[in-house]
Amino acid sequence: MSASDVIGTERLEALLRGDAPRTQEESARGALLSELRAAMLHAPETLRERVLATAPAPRRLSLRLPSRRLALVAVPAALGLAVAAALVHGLTGPGGQTVQDRVAAAPAVVGAKAQPSTVFRAATGSGAAVPSAPSSLQAQVAPPVGSGGRLQHTEASLQVRVPDVGRLSAATSAATRIATSLGGYAQSVVYRTPQSGGGASYIELRVPAQNVRAALAKLAALGSLVSQQVSVQDLQHDFAVESAQIAQLRRTVAALQKALHNPALPEAQRVLLQIKLAESKRALAQRLHARTGTVASGTTARISLVLSTEKSIVPVVHHRGRLGRMLHSAVGFLGLEGTIVLYALIVAGPLALAVALVWGLARLRRRRDERRLLTA
Amino acid sequence: MTIGGPGAVGPGVNAVSTSLDAPVALSTRPGFAEVASEQLDAVYRYLVFLTGDRVAAEDLAAETFEKAFRSWRRFDPRRGTPRTWLCRIARTVAIDWFRAETRRRRREETYARELAVAGDAVFGEGLSAPLEQALRELSPAEREVVALRVLLELDGPSAARVLGISQTACSTRLSRALRRLEERIGDVRE
Repeated sequence: MSASDVIGTERLEALLRGDAPRTQEESARGALLSELRAAMLHAPETLRERVLATAPAPRRLSLRLPSRRLALVAVPAALGLAVAAALVHGLTGPGGQTVQDRVAAAPAVVGAKAQPSTVFRAATGSGAAVPSAPSSLQAQVAPPVGSGGRLQHTEASLQVRVPDVGRLSAATSAATRIATSLGGYAQSVVYRTPQSGGGASYIELRVPAQNVRAALAKLAALGSLVSQQVSVQDLQHDFAVESAQIAQLRRTVAALQKALHNPALPEAQRVLLQIKLAESKRALAQRLHARTGTVASGTTARISLVLSTEKSIVPVVHHRGRLGRMLHSAVGFLGLEGTIVLYALIVAGPLALAVALVWGLARLRRRRDERRLLTA
Repeated sequence: MTIGGPGAVGPGVNAVSTSLDAPVALSTRPGFAEVASEQLDAVYRYLVFLTGDRVAAEDLAAETFEKAFRSWRRFDPRRGTPRTWLCRIARTVAIDWFRAETRRRRREETYARELAVAGDAVFGEGLSAPLEQALRELSPAEREVVALRVLLELDGPSAARVLGISQTACSTRLSRALRRLEERIGDVRE
């Protein structure tokens, strides 16, 4: 029976610590350990000098943190940066500006007649519902369109929420009646009520420019106004240019016709003038058609109305203060950052997994290689 | 921090140690020169036992301390003793040497560098001839665990960490190595 069969791990550890042997086998093992420890084996002086004297030259100091400490610093720093970016976004973004601010600022721009095209927008894109008209907000929202004696093209889009499908049908009919009563018409009506519930209708209306304001007010009164966007494009300059071109062409045509009446005109010259006359008449017809379109565009406004029963439209929180809006915007920005990080993880995850797998296999192989080398 | 007296280390070592200690700012951390001076014998003995070759052990010890010097800033005394840390570096260096030796032997198909001939004291002066012979017949892995646990007196967890195995496996390996040593000594004496 060998010694290892009777000397357990605990007793071996005790012998290594210097405990007295209890059995004959332990005495033999203890003697072996003592002999091994008693052997003199010191590093040669040449090696000592070599180790101590040939140390590499000192390197430049660098503030290098261990990886764990670096992670402890870097992770909170990144989080802090993300939150700071969100707060900056909240302070400087649209959340820091009230709807009333925008409403107040927009008419001043629209009212400036020198602007060829202006866009007036109220509560757009926020999904916020405005209380049913007539309300003071809607009165402010209606821009001064179709006034001032200038030719202007108006385009408006409204989104109005109605309580249920029954009201949706009635509101759709009412919208077409409003357009008709104001001298306009409904160009297209798309009415959808899916089985899953809810419904929406998409209505394209044409209304005389002078009645746009009244039309917008009446259409907004069909339900809760969710969003409204009005675009006004000044066409007066286009109209003036086209009129000047028409007058010029008319003068040219008259002159050419007068010249062609001259009997002394050589035949070759006559043919040339006739060609020019035909070209001028064609250009005149084009310009007259274009001016007719311009006038029609300026006298008829286009209104896109969306009536919806969707419940996803969130009512506006009118009592939310500046801080509330800022925080709301910051939280939204944080959500965006989180989405980006999630996408990055989804993309980098499989790659990291593959790298970890390769690293693990390489480590396993290295261990096996070491074991083989040392047990040979 | 000044290491030792003027004659204790080489002329440039004090300055080196000063620069190394500065960024770490650990009050309990010794200087590299001090650690090297204290642990040189232990590392050398470990390498002699691992390789069975004193000349190679000298070269490997020098290389070990050179590597240790370069990575001295990464040494964390809270995660282990300097001896354990140096032994891990020495083991990596020695395994590279074993790989190179294996390739060389394959190339030459002979053992150009064999273990010392019988009669030479490789593993230390004062060892009996049967023990010296028995040590030669052990595998490097067996001699390695004997060196770490018996000569260098590392505790179980530290030795296991150096070897990259579990503590139980380390104890088993040591027990087996000592048993084989006893068997070989008995064979030689008979």
